[in-house]
Amino acid sequence: MSDENTGAPDFVRIPIFQRILDNPFILLFIGVVVPAVFYIIWGIMEIVTIPIAP
Amino acid sequence: MSAIQPPAETVWWKQPLDRVEGAWISIALLWSLIMFIMMPLWHVYGKQNLSNEAYRTTPQAFLAKTQAMVDAYTVRTETETRLPVVHPPPGSDVYLLGRLWQWWPLLELERGQTYRLHISSMDWQHGFSLQPVNINTQILPGYEMVLTITPDTGDEQTVICNEYCGLGHHNMTGKIYITEGAP
Repeated sequence: MSDENTGAPDFVRIPIFQRILDNPFILLFIGVVVPAVFYIIWGIMEIVTIPIAP
Repeated sequence: MSAIQPPAETVWWKQPLDRVEGAWISIALLWSLIMFIMMPLWHVYGKQNLSNEAYRTTPQAFLAKTQAMVDAYTVRTETETRLPVVHPPPGSDVYLLGRLWQWWPLLELERGQTYRLHISSMDWQHGFSLQPVNINTQILPGYEMVLTITPDTGDEQTVICNEYCGLGHHNMTGKIYITEGAP
């Protein structure tokens, strides 16, 4: 049995957004992948699909 | 509470938003939305950020198309260097090339008529800038930029280069004459 006077309870449900914002590696992943996809990948896709001049 | 110590509660997510922080977030969000809306608004009402077309080409291919237009529609030459002045038919494709250090050829377009202006570079990056109407686009070799234009103001527009391209960049100019009708 847990004793509330000596420490935290055995189980507490952490909200998903708190888990994301508290994890520096998830934040690092998002900070690299999101700009890489929206700027680099999308930009390269736009450039390679430029049509040939008639 | 301190920024370098863990939050007082394990589940800090549920802590109510502070009024000042909430006000800051609202102001920042509002300003972000204003700047986002300004992009399409300025595209339409500011007549900037052109809806131009772009195609892949080569300097040789583009030079050939430009030369063909010059051969067919030259009406006179100007200056001692005999720069051709070209009067293409209204509604047609007009070709303008940028190279170190000139915009070639000079163009003579009819007022109120619409043309498809194709621009490309023979060597490296230049900045096509039509003044005083202030139409600007970057020009790169290997890419053909197409602007749909209808000359309606003034008698002469000057093309300058506004992307530094070397020692003669400041002399890199061209002309678009606007006439009332056929030559």
